[in-house]
Amino acid sequence: MNTSIIKLVQHSLGVSGVLGQCSPALASQLHTSAPLCRVVSGKYRITKKRDKPLTYEMANPPHYIAHRKSWNSWNTSNLKDGLRRSETALEDEFIRRFMTGTWHGLVCSEIIVKRQFNHIRVAGIIRRAVSPTKMYFLLGYTEELLSNWLQCPVTLELQTVDSFKDVVFKYI
Amino acid sequence: MSLFIRNYKPNSLATVYNVKIWRLHSTAAESTQKKDENEEEFRVLDILKKKDRIQRKVTRRADIQPDRSDRMAPDQNWGNVWPGPKTFHPSSVPLPLRQGYVPKGQAPPGKKANAELMKVPNFLHLTPPVIKSQCEAIKQYCTEWPNLLNSQEAIEKHYPVEIITSDYCHASPSIRNPLARIVTLRVKLSTLKLDKHARDKFIRLVGDRYDSSTDLVTITADRCPARIQNTDYVNYLLTACFHEAWNVEEWEKDKTEDDMEYYDWNNNASKKSLVNWHLQKKGESKTLTDDEYKSFDVSEIQHADGYKNAVSDWMNSGESEETVKKYAEAVRKLFGLPEKKVV
Repeated sequence: MNTSIIKLVQHSLGVSGVLGQCSPALASQLHTSAPLCRVVSGKYRITKKRDKPLTYEMANPPHYIAHRKSWNSWNTSNLKDGLRRSETALEDEFIRRFMTGTWHGLVCSEIIVKRQFNHIRVAGIIRRAVSPTKMYFLLGYTEELLSNWLQCPVTLELQTVDSFKDVVFKYI
Repeated sequence: MSLFIRNYKPNSLATVYNVKIWRLHSTAAESTQKKDENEEEFRVLDILKKKDRIQRKVTRRADIQPDRSDRMAPDQNWGNVWPGPKTFHPSSVPLPLRQGYVPKGQAPPGKKANAELMKVPNFLHLTPPVIKSQCEAIKQYCTEWPNLLNSQEAIEKHYPVEIITSDYCHASPSIRNPLARIVTLRVKLSTLKLDKHARDKFIRLVGDRYDSSTDLVTITADRCPARIQNTDYVNYLLTACFHEAWNVEEWEKDKTEDDMEYYDWNNNASKKSLVNWHLQKKGESKTLTDDEYKSFDVSEIQHADGYKNAVSDWMNSGESEETVKKYAEAVRKLFGLPEKKVV
């Protein structure tokens, strides 16, 4: 793994050095890491004891998106000629990180961010490990802070489960 | 550390000895001294921490409510349960839903703790009865459709100018879309009531914005940042073209046969030779001026109209098998020749 990365870096340095002299635009469009990502990213290694829990989302690698599983971000920026592409992607990532940090150790699924007009719906599966009072507090806290930062109404639509075992799809 | 010190207070040490002494001498006093004994039990070194492990046992809370969907009456008003768009929630939907891909022979994951069901947009808030009731509610704000505009033809007649704009609806905090500024004006050229010269000039002015097959003039404007500005601009363009078309400039009189946008049989050599042939056939020998040739009424010549149409058709729509055949038939009729025999 490490050696392959080093090789890729060397390769990309050499190529971009040559290309960079010719045209900076061409050099920026070159993706040298794509073949590695295709093989490794979004996939999980099988353990010896076959006891690694996977959710449905994790069990299906990325090339099954739109076939066996659907997207985690729903918005019109992803479509052709969509507006605010980069802003939307960045905000979604921010929401995900804020959610997993605020609901620390409680989030059992991917955070789903759905946008309708200026309304952001954040959905996810949460473990019932804290008291309902705390959960209500976190709900209001997250909604309030996110809507203040993103300047649009944010709604948290959560589902609760007893433990992480409820969302496990299979063990590998 | 403080605990250690307390346990080894001289006072408590004395009590320990006292208890031991009492126990040696009397068993009846044991119950009375139980409290003291609990307080001062011998501390055991617990390496494996067995005691803690037992204490850490997870207790499931009993205050979790049963599913709302289990208590729903079959004749309830679903619109009250699911009033607006919302992410799927398994405990409020009384449907045995399953979602997910599994190998053959297995059941797909159920509705509980299923993230796939939460991802897909649902229309549980738009059931037919809800749509019906909402339509009933907004009916009071609707006005009746005008009776006279009962057909597409009537609409085209009363509102010949069509303004086409697009509104865009997307998921973002801004409602602006730069594409919404584009305005297209569409009008049928025949509704403008232009005369022959003005029509010709109008078509030349608008150029390729005129479509001869549908007779529509389409003017699009996107140069201004706001839609209303573009609408004004489009209307201005139509008005300007219309009035300019009616102007006759001095230099327009210099228009020759080469500048004609279409073949006019009356102005061309074909009519001249037909008229000459007609006059010769009648035995008259007179020379006509150009204007006399142009205004000569060909209806007195038999089959001349067919010939005129055939020649004009050939020149205007180009040479093709159809037009050549039509021309041949017209010439045969004109000269009184028999029709071509089909072999």
